[in-house]
Amino acid sequence: MTQDVVSWAALAPALALLGALVNGLLGARLREPLPGIVASVAVGAGFVLSLVAFFAFAGRGEAVVVPLWDYLAVSGVELALGFHLDQLSLLMMLVITGVGALIHVYSIGYMHADSGFARYFAYLNLFVAAMLVLVMADSYLLMFVGWEGVGVCSYLLIAFWFKQGTNVDAARKAYIVNRIGDAGFLLAMFLMFRTFGTLDVAAVNAAVGAFAFGAGAITAIGLLLLVAATGKSAQIPLHVWLPDAMAGPTPVSALIHAATMVTAGVYLIARASPIFATSPEASAAVAWVGAATALIAAFVAFAQTDIKRVLAYSTISQLGFMFVAVGVGAYSVAVFHLVTHAFFKALLFLVAGSVIHALGGEQDVRRMGGLGTRMRITGTTALVGTLAIAGVPLLAGFFSKDAILVHTFSSTLVEDYGAYFLYAVLLVSAVMTAGYMFRWYYTVFCGAERLSKATGAAVHESPRVMTVPLVVLAVGSVLTGYLGLPAFAFPNWIEGWLAPVTAAVTFTHPALWIEWLLLLVSVLAAALGLGLGYWAYHLQKGAPAARLGVGRLAAFGRSGAGFDALYRNAVVGPTEGTAGALSIVDRDILDRGMASGVTAAGLLARVTTLWQSGFVRAYALAMLCGVVALVLVVVVAGVRA
Amino acid sequence: MIPMIALALPVLVALLLLATRGALARGLALAGAMGTFLAAALLPGSSAVVVPWIAGIGVYFALDGSGAGGFLAVVASLVMVPTVVWTVVRVGERPHQFLAALFAMWAGLIGLFLARDLVLFYVFWEVTLLPSLAMLAGWGLAQRRQAMLKYLLYAIAGSFAMLLTVLAIRPLAGAESYLFADLLATTSALDSVQQVWLFVGFVLAFAVKLPIFPVHHWLIDFHEQNHPSGAADVAGTLYKVGGFGLFAWALPLLPLGASIVTPYLLLLGAFTALYAAVIATRQTNLKRLLAYASLSHMGFVAVGLFGLHIAGLSGSMYLLAAQMVTTGGLFLLSGMLHARRATFDITAYGGLAASAPALAAVMLLVLFAGIGVPGLANFPGEFLALLGAFQASVFAGVLAVGAVIAAGVYGVNLYGRLFQGPQPNPVADLRPVEIAVLAPIVLATLWLGLFPAGPLALLDAEATITIEGQSLASDPAPPDASTLQGARR
Repeated sequence: MTQDVVSWAALAPALALLGALVNGLLGARLREPLPGIVASVAVGAGFVLSLVAFFAFAGRGEAVVVPLWDYLAVSGVELALGFHLDQLSLLMMLVITGVGALIHVYSIGYMHADSGFARYFAYLNLFVAAMLVLVMADSYLLMFVGWEGVGVCSYLLIAFWFKQGTNVDAARKAYIVNRIGDAGFLLAMFLMFRTFGTLDVAAVNAAVGAFAFGAGAITAIGLLLLVAATGKSAQIPLHVWLPDAMAGPTPVSALIHAATMVTAGVYLIARASPIFATSPEASAAVAWVGAATALIAAFVAFAQTDIKRVLAYSTISQLGFMFVAVGVGAYSVAVFHLVTHAFFKALLFLVAGSVIHALGGEQDVRRMGGLGTRMRITGTTALVGTLAIAGVPLLAGFFSKDAILVHTFSSTLVEDYGAYFLYAVLLVSAVMTAGYMFRWYYTVFCGAERLSKATGAAVHESPRVMTVPLVVLAVGSVLTGYLGLPAFAFPNWIEGWLAPVTAAVTFTHPALWIEWLLLLVSVLAAALGLGLGYWAYHLQKGAPAARLGVGRLAAFGRSGAGFDALYRNAVVGPTEGTAGALSIVDRDILDRGMASGVTAAGLLARVTTLWQSGFVRAYALAMLCGVVALVLVVVVAGVRA
Repeated sequence: MIPMIALALPVLVALLLLATRGALARGLALAGAMGTFLAAALLPGSSAVVVPWIAGIGVYFALDGSGAGGFLAVVASLVMVPTVVWTVVRVGERPHQFLAALFAMWAGLIGLFLARDLVLFYVFWEVTLLPSLAMLAGWGLAQRRQAMLKYLLYAIAGSFAMLLTVLAIRPLAGAESYLFADLLATTSALDSVQQVWLFVGFVLAFAVKLPIFPVHHWLIDFHEQNHPSGAADVAGTLYKVGGFGLFAWALPLLPLGASIVTPYLLLLGAFTALYAAVIATRQTNLKRLLAYASLSHMGFVAVGLFGLHIAGLSGSMYLLAAQMVTTGGLFLLSGMLHARRATFDITAYGGLAASAPALAAVMLLVLFAGIGVPGLANFPGEFLALLGAFQASVFAGVLAVGAVIAAGVYGVNLYGRLFQGPQPNPVADLRPVEIAVLAPIVLATLWLGLFPAGPLALLDAEATITIEGQSLASDPAPPDASTLQGARR
């Protein structure tokens, strides 16, 4: 390590890895809560290092590169591993280690008395290490190491309670769907190498400049990266794994499946922003995938009755918002929403965990209600999170979502690909977001209690180790919004911070009154969604919602808009059938065919008699004769030559 | 001297083992394994041995451990040590003979990796077949006869093609000897038709031992019917040397032949990778599943070689070494599972992670290394092989990458069926001796995954010969169809 304090942040993933090793190898001998403390300290120390690096870096332009070691050394493909610390990676590191440390601490309470306590923290630390590698990588190859690494950790944590078959199925599904995305990542790297001759992120980004706007190769790379991002960030059509991933422990859902890993796709596109800024086609594809996902997932969220699945679909929908942002070229805005979302969605999941914890494992919102008065801290922080994601002014989600809407409205990069339609779709999705989140909050925390007597009697506020992280996250769900106030009238820190590391894309600058109008529309969207929710659930006592719950549309929504059934019938079934057929063909037709061909040649009969007289000895003899014959023939040939 | 010691020591141990019994045999095997490994570990820095053998016809006893073969010999030896230990533990019936066969294979493998004379290479290639056949014949399962027959027929057919090629190549090229350097100096001057025929001759032999579709069926039965300890399967895994034969002999010696034939083989390799991985997703017998998974890896090796790109060539050899560790490790693990439940039917298992967490952790690591998770052994080679293939043919690259997805499927299916879900019967966790057996596998899995640069540089130096041959071969105008047909008559 050098004397530069920024480079010390390169130790953050090593610390997390060390924590994972300690808990993985010695965890069984450590008494609770020691594994949790070890893990939390490992991540917390990483946060301190990241924070120091972040402030030390402020005001600088050049990225700090920390070389690790040579990895590939083949003529023409030489690649050393290294960490690239710049504005974007440092910001991501703060989120990962900051939110991560809070979730680690919370987990000490949540996982109390679980037989796999140490194993849990080993996995969680390993995840943080892989996620840090992903965002700190200076090459796509090292990024892929983290990319697959977080996938493996996600797999392990979804199946953490592995004795239950449904958890295992959910984990397998997540891993396999992610592998499809990973294949896209691999192909993107191969095509990058073919096009630029390097996999170094900075070198690739610099080389893109030599290509014409809209060049075919760049678009192809962009689309392949989109495949990768779609898998990891659970966008349509590869989103189906995320709702099932809720089978994992709830803090895992908060950390991996809300705040960090699933945002990796957004990070990837922001990192590769020069590629996308050069290809309006690829950018439009990103934006439309995001818009479709935002809308459909919001619709499905209305029909869910599981406290976590509502949030899962909400995450998919919010990631869709981020995809639209990177798609229209507003890279810093996407990262802004990524940061605010990390806080309020982690908060909402931890709130859900607190509720599940208090209710002894109950997850169905139809058997909740009225918990706000009995769990004051959980209820209050839940309200903050709900208002933040709904887009209520002065809270974080409002500023970041409004920024996405405004930039979509004024995009030039995708203006030929229906920028106004994108805006309209997002606006509707924003109204729906406020609506389903009100429904979620109301059914859990307000109204009459619908708990069974036994559960009702046992309801309690969670211990301090869990509520303190909730409060910290709630504060973050308000304050992070002020990192990016509307730029037309207020200071906007995050845009300036990320400007040096993201591609510059031009946006039209509408008249000031239009800017204010757009802001007002965003406020109205949140108000409309919350108002509709209030009307439906409070004034009508949920009556319209009850009607909604039985219709065909609701059933469609509950089934996740039919994607799972479609894949089962159109993809999984036929693929399994083909695989089964191939294995039969290989064994019973090809193999047997080869064998009978040989029999026909008469060779088989002769060898069969041989083996009855001591097969191996006979063969050994034949071999010896063969070698002798070879030598003889060689001698003869050699003499004649 | 070191190559001679590394070769002679296992031969000596094998012979002595035949004459010993009981504790003495066990002690001898363990000491011999350590000794051979230490000798092999010194190979990369050693100097070559070249002594005239059959001087009249230019056959030399030439061994060189400083190149790609040396690296493969070291890794193979690293895998052999735990295999010998595991054999001592698990093979109860005539263990001294089984161990003798194992050491004989070890010697044969070192010989064929180090041989720098084509005839010597051929001799080791053939001789190594005997102990592997003996293990199947003497310790295999009930249907071993069919498996043996198949194995033998494929091997003989391949060997015959190679024998003809070996016989033909020196007179045709007019080389001074069968030494690699002498052949290299002359064979590239052969015309395209001769090169194609010779190359096809090599390919027939090497394709069987790679193996790739459609000459792979012996591999499946071979693994399914071998001794349940898995030790013979490890040796068989190390003996999948067709890729090495292509890398070290066929591709550098016959650049023109290679450039004409490899585009078709590239597609065949990509197909093999995908085909085998897809079939692996539906296997319920653990050894058959591993056999198909292993076949899929060989498809990756093949695309890396046949793409004729420097990255793919070096990567495929790195993958060949890595899969010795990972596939070998998985076969050892399969033997440990069999020791607990006496079956390879994976549907009979379930939930073992609860009672055997250490076994589960090692399995997870080695299995995920096998399916190409980055940071672990198979990834660097697999990545470079696919990268090289993609540069040669986008279609083949995409086809082979499909196998990466299928590998994810069989990987999590296998782990899920064995270690997750409800646990009908608990099993014992790893015993100390099993930890000792698996420790080198685990360490090598991590080491090969994290620090590939050194070995890759070594492989790269040798792959450059092929690449230079290609650039020279492509310089003159490619042969047109008329000369091809004329010469065929």
